[in-house]
Amino acid sequence: MANKPQIRTNSSAIMAMIADEDTITGFLLAGVGNVDLRRKTNYLIVDSKTTVKQIEEAFKEFTSREDIAIVLISQYVANMIRFLVDSYNKPIPAILEIPSKDHPYDPAHDSVLSRVKYLFSAESVAGDRR
Amino acid sequence: MQTSVDGNQSSNEIAGADQNILNLLDSMDNYLILVDSLSSSLRQGWLELASARYSMGASRVNSSLFDLKSHQASTTLQVDNGGIDTELPCFTLCKWTSSDEAKLEEDELLKNKSDSPPVQHLESEERKAEESGSPVTANNHVEKERFKSLSMFGTLVSPKLRATQSTFETTLETLVEMSNLRASLLCAYDHVQKDRKTD
Repeated sequence: MANKPQIRTNSSAIMAMIADEDTITGFLLAGVGNVDLRRKTNYLIVDSKTTVKQIEEAFKEFTSREDIAIVLISQYVANMIRFLVDSYNKPIPAILEIPSKDHPYDPAHDSVLSRVKYLFSAESVAGDRR
Repeated sequence: MQTSVDGNQSSNEIAGADQNILNLLDSMDNYLILVDSLSSSLRQGWLELASARYSMGASRVNSSLFDLKSHQASTTLQVDNGGIDTELPCFTLCKWTSSDEAKLEEDELLKNKSDSPPVQHLESEERKAEESGSPVTANNHVEKERFKSLSMFGTLVSPKLRATQSTFETTLETLVEMSNLRASLLCAYDHVQKDRKTD
């Protein structure tokens, strides 16, 4: 593979999206769409025909690209690859779970907030006492 | 004497740990407020997009019209990985930045790599001369970039589609704020974890 660009301090980066068609359409209108010379896009439209494997591959690709600073993922899509999202712990790119039209946001499922919730949960405190 | 020094040290540690927990809870609260704001902003955007689709027709507003030709994002992010004083990354949104400079660099790269005809190089030179000779105002440039984004759905678009564009631009600002808050939330979480392990 050719040398990948690195996100240095104060360098430019882009956003990636894994979401439904309407959400992606809106963000493309806002100018975040990027297509590289190999015709690879910075988004994946998830519909009824999208497989979990495709979502996993897109997530792994976007989180390993060094020109991507934020990955937006609809929460219902993140739930399909929850094990992968929860095991991700790098600061960049930042993974943001967003609501979708048919699936409102649930803080209990959010990767970051669920870690905090566990920190203050009874099981966590009981574990410390043992 | 030694006991009072030890006592002061432990009370300072407890105060520090309490402060870390407060920081964590504050960050979490602010994050949830931003998520709420994001949800309402997205709902507005989806509704405006649905209105645009209704007025223009579903065949004119769908994903098959997305531009799949090679192009750079007009809206990018500046990432500051944090200096000596802070470990937090800082995200800044750069809306409608010039894609022309990036395009010129790409043209130069292609010209150097392939046996492209001199016409391509001439086009780049003409563009450079044009830009240096007649400066485009910031507003004109932003409007041009906005128009480029809208043009994938045609030249004449519904005002609702423009409204959708504006709403999603605002949503981007909220998302960048959320990213910064997420970074501080994770930092506060790490501090609290460390405090728990040392207890």
